[in-house]
Formats: sequence, C-alpha cells, structure tokens
Amino acid sequence: MRGFRLSDRQVGILFMLPFLVTAGAFMVWPVAEAVRLAFYSYNPLRPDDLTWVGFENFERIFDDPLFWESFSQALVWTGWSIVLQTLLGVGLAMLLHVALPGIAVFRGLLLFPYIVPTVVIALNWRWIFNSEIGIVNHALVSLGIVEQNIAWLSTPNMAMTSAVLLNVWKYTPFVIICVLARLQTIPTELYDAAKVDGARAWRRFIDITLPMLKEVLVVVIVFRTIWTFNKFEEIYLLTRGGPGTSTFNLAVYAFEEGMANLRLGVAAATGVVMIVLLLAGTVVYVRVSGFGQEEKGS
Amino acid sequence: MSKTSLLATRRAALLGGSALAAPALAQNQPRVARVWGEPGPYGGVFVQGMNEWAERNNAGIRFEVEQIPWDGVTVKLTTDLAARRPPALISVESPIAYQLAAEGLLEPVEDVNNAIRARERLVDGFSLEQFGAWKGVQYAVPLHHQPCLLVVQQDIVNELGLGDPAGWNWDHFANAARTITERKPGMAGYTMALGRNLCADYHITQFIWQAGGMTWDPRDGFKTVFDSPATVEAFDFIRRLHASMPRAAVEFSFLQVVDQHVAGRTGMSAYWGRTMGRAAEETPQLFNNMEYYLNPAHPGTGMRWSWTDINGWIIPRRDNAFIRETKEAIAYVSNNVDWLVRYSQSLMPNVGPVFKDVATAPAMLAHPFYQSKRRSLDVIFSQSVPHTCNTGLELRHGVNPLAGFAHGRSVWAQAVQRMLLNNEQPRQAVQWGQRQFENIRRDNARMLAG
Repeated sequence: MRGFRLSDRQVGILFMLPFLVTAGAFMVWPVAEAVRLAFYSYNPLRPDDLTWVGFENFERIFDDPLFWESFSQALVWTGWSIVLQTLLGVGLAMLLHVALPGIAVFRGLLLFPYIVPTVVIALNWRWIFNSEIGIVNHALVSLGIVEQNIAWLSTPNMAMTSAVLLNVWKYTPFVIICVLARLQTIPTELYDAAKVDGARAWRRFIDITLPMLKEVLVVVIVFRTIWTFNKFEEIYLLTRGGPGTSTFNLAVYAFEEGMANLRLGVAAATGVVMIVLLLAGTVVYVRVSGFGQEEKGS
Repeated sequence: MSKTSLLATRRAALLGGSALAAPALAQNQPRVARVWGEPGPYGGVFVQGMNEWAERNNAGIRFEVEQIPWDGVTVKLTTDLAARRPPALISVESPIAYQLAAEGLLEPVEDVNNAIRARERLVDGFSLEQFGAWKGVQYAVPLHHQPCLLVVQQDIVNELGLGDPAGWNWDHFANAARTITERKPGMAGYTMALGRNLCADYHITQFIWQAGGMTWDPRDGFKTVFDSPATVEAFDFIRRLHASMPRAAVEFSFLQVVDQHVAGRTGMSAYWGRTMGRAAEETPQLFNNMEYYLNPAHPGTGMRWSWTDINGWIIPRRDNAFIRETKEAIAYVSNNVDWLVRYSQSLMPNVGPVFKDVATAPAMLAHPFYQSKRRSLDVIFSQSVPHTCNTGLELRHGVNPLAGFAHGRSVWAQAVQRMLLNNEQPRQAVQWGQRQFENIRRDNARMLAG
C-alpha cells in the first residue's frame, strides 16, 4: 500500500479534520451568519422576505432603553455571580484540600449542582423559592427568622438576588475543581519553609497560595465571565426576565427581540454587540492581570 | 491490501449498507402527521378520532399529538417552518391563530366548515368568523370555547355574608375580596395572574373591556386606543384589588393561579374551567363548595366581558404534506357527535362544546359534573357566550391579528407591572403601554394591509 502512505503533516491534518469540520459547521458558520443577519431585517415567519437595512438594527437597540437596562442588569448579574463564585470556590477548595478521611466523598458530592441539568435546577428552585408554598419561606417562618413570607421572585431586587444565588450554587463547583487541581500541584516544601520562617496561615495563603493560583484564577474568571454574561436559560427558566424586566440580561433581551418580536436581525445585532463587549473585556482583563507574561519573560 | 480483499471489503460495505437501509416492514409504516395541542388531554381524544378515520380509509397516515404550550407555539413554529417541517395541524389560542392567518401562513378551510355544516351547528352567540377569519377567508375549524370567569368558594362567601356573586359589580367584588383577606388569615381574597406572561395579559384585559376600553380598534384602521380613560380606570381597579391578592401574584401565570385556588389559599380567583377539574381530582371539599360566576359588572357600563379562547383547528399551508388527509380527518371527527362529546369530556369543564348537537347530546349531559355542578356548567358553557371576546377580538368589534405580537412580549402585563412594581401612576403606565402597542401597529402595518 505504498500509494496510500501519508506524511506526518497529512496525518495531522486528517486527525484535525473532524474538529475543523465540526467547529466550522457549529461555531464559525453560525457566528458568521449572525453577523450577516445583524445587517438585515428578517421575520422568521416570512423567511423569503430578507431586507438589507445596514446599521439600522444597531441604531434600534442603542435607542432602546430596555437594551441599556438589560446591559446594566447583565453587569450586576455577572459581577455578583463571579465575585461570589470565586470567593466561595477558593474557600471551599482550600477546605477540600485538607487531607481528611472520606474527603473524596465530599469532593464528589460538590460536583452535584454542576452535573444536574439547568432546567431541573431552575424548576426546582422555582418551587423552593415559591413565596406562597416554598420550603425556604416555610423554614424561615417556622424557625421564627422572618415573620411573613419573603417574595423571593416577585420583587425586582429579590428576583435578581435569587437568580445570582442559583448561578453561584450551580457553578461554584467548576471553580472548586479548577482551584483544587492547582492546589494539589503546589509543592508542600514551600509551605514547610514558610512555617519554619514563622509565617502564619493567612500569610502563607497571601504569599504562597494566592500567587500560585493566579494563573488558574485568571482563566477561570475569564471563562466564567463569558459564560455568565451570555447565560440565558437560568434567568429565563427562573424568572423569564421578570418581574417586569428587572432580570433581563442581554441574552434574554436578544431572545425577546428574536422570538417574541420576530425581529431576528435585531436579535443578531444584540449578539454581535455581546461578542464585541466580551472580546474587549477579556483583552483588557487579561492584559491587566498580566496573564502569560511570566512565560514570555522566561 | 490486494485487489481481491479490496473487492471483498467493498462487498461487505455494500451488504452492511443494505442492512442499514429501511427494511420492507418500515417502508409500509404509515407516515406520521404531527398535531400540536396544549399539554394535557386537549388534542388527544380528537386525534384518536382522526386516526380512526385514517384506519378506516386506509390512508397510510398516523396522526400524533405533540404537546406545545400555547405561549411556545410561535417559537416552535418559526423553527419548524425554517426547517420546512411544520405540523399538519395546530390547536392554538385565538389571538395567535388570527396572527398566523394574517401572516398568510394558514390553509383556508371553508371546504371543511361546509362539510361539517359548522355555521348551522354553532352554539348561539358564536360566529364562524370569530374562530379565525381574515379578510373574508376562513382559516379555522371550530373546536371549543373557554371563558375566563370568576371562581368562588361559595362557603366562604356565604359565611362572611358577602351576598350573591351573580349580582356583584366591581365595588361589591373588591369589597368581598378585601373582607376575605381581612377575615381569613393566610387566605387571599382574590387571585389573578400578574406575572409577565400570557395569562396575566388575559386577566388584565378583561377589566379593560368591562370598563369600555380597547387596545386597537379594527373599525378605525386598527388605531391604537389603549390610552383611554377606561383603561386607566381598569388599571386603577387592578391596583385596588392587588391589596387583596397574594404578594407573589406579580409572578403568577396559569399554573400558579390554579395551584393557589386548589390549595385553599384564595377565596376567589380568575380562571377557566380547569380549576374546577383540578379541585375535583385533588380536593373534593373545595370542589363541593366551588362555583363559577360571570365576571362582576362594571358599575358604569354594566359589562361583564370574559377573555375567551374561541378555539379552532388551523392548518399550516407552507410545506405541509398532509393538508388533504388532515382536512378529511377533521371533517370526519367534527361530524361525529360521539367523538366531540368525548373530546369535551376529556377535560371537563375546560373545553366547552361549540356545536349545539354536542352541547345537548345525552352523552354530554350524562357527565357527573352536570349532576353536581349544573349551575356552574351552565355559566361556563352557555351564559358566558354573550360576554365572550378576546385580545384578538376586542369587544367583538372585529378580528385583530396584532394581539399575537403583543402577547409575545406581554405588553399588557408589563404595563400593569410598571404600576405595581415601579409605583408608576396608572395613567403613566397606560401611556407606556400605548407607546408599545403603537410600535407594534407601526411595525406590522404591512401585514394589516395584507
């Protein structure tokens, strides 16, 4: 079979081909199509009626107060989610790093929220936080902590808080896994040496653990920010963007424009704005954090 | 690899391929025509009847129900149309049917309506056009009607001496709600949906019509007339009622309102027949004391309008490979009183019969609810008919296809939420709604022009 012998380069390309085809079909093409659609007026019920409108869709969203409201709420939703996930994730990872009998069981259990499908979690949370018959209110009232039921999902501030809590509960395990993996690679000699020098626990955390975690935290925060900023299903399933529009983020806004208002061009333009915002934010954050500079320096 | 082995490999591949091809048995399988219906038994019995037609006529087709929530129909339809794979048949709330008809997406069904003598058989008070006609063409085959009414726990009203709900006007009603809230700890006086959803839109608009208001006026070129004093009055009344509602009402949709009632946490609520059906299944004591009434009358206009789904079958036109068979099967079931009785009784008393011969059929009247709840059933099935309209047929002044768009973004509900959550004055919230509705009218001017 001499004729069929492939060079190493060709074999490499052959192995990459499935990924390239898949990525092209399911990532590159949809993004390119969304960018194209952002410049057209397109009602999905009238698929033959596609009209070029230039930047009109972008003008429309920038003139829409709901877009700006959604944008600011997206910042609140993303900001609080990331801060809480990072703090809790690092803290819990530190606890799970302690060598105790049966710790592996706890590590496994912590993955539970991350494994359960979002739709199941959101629907369960709707019941748990139901103001009238939810178990949370029942417990709080029974224990005498509050006198009357809390409207968890019925007031703007509480609805946003509930949505953030759900996001934190579900995705903190992701932060824990990443941080825990890094913690386990930090040489114990560093801590031993610090102890000999008289460094207490907090000092050891600040001077050894945190710098060692920096790279992984930068990556985790960037990914979690992108994923949270784009999140649709948790908010939609939990509050549908309500009450009013108090938990709209840009993903929910885009869905409303595309599916409720049947303006797919406007929805696509919103998606393009989101890409630009996230791209710019990521570049700035990575630059500020100095990610990768040590490697370049060495 | 030698040439012989290469050929053997190729032969094996071909044999493998033939093994993967559809076997003869599969090729004889009937083609599947999808039918969309609301979750629950709604479409199920009717589709069983359609399959009886298919078997008797050896049509080589099988109808299958897909359960789609009504507020998910538009989304699902857009994706299915884009995939050139629409359902064969849809049962959907009237405003969405009107919208799809005006969009030119539906198959005319005058032939089916003629075949079933729909016009002659309709219950008095309904017209064929109300089920779904646009510019003189019929696009819907009558299926059922569902009025939204006042659901009352009669024992509580009697105990508190609140009078006869049949004679209540808005003031009596609001006072009754307040009294229940004050005198029955842990129980709301009245529950309606006020979340950002379809159900809230329906509940809110009833009050607007009772006060004499509308959203668009089909008699005047679909002019946006939402910001009338009548709408402001209705908003003000909802704000007054809100004090007697559960705190969480601003997140309630269909299910939560029924849950609230069948859990015994409200003395009264706004709903369709399903609350009675759920109570019969789950809480017999509540069922025994439950009664339905026409909505309380506006003290000035005397009107008791009810948001009513005047529901018909609609058939997507584009890329629908089953139009002929679907029409024949609908006609077969609609001409069969037994099947229609079974359909109505599959979700008693939620799907009111729309044909006289069905409404008066001995089998229909033999249902146990007619023995235990005769008065309420008469209200739901018959007395409500003169008061029926919906957001696509406001005050019965003509079909209006714009309502489907407004429901898509729950504009009515949002306007009321601005008043209740953002503390806007009723007039301010109504003016916000006016701007949204006017935008919808302007965006869809071409559709209205046809």
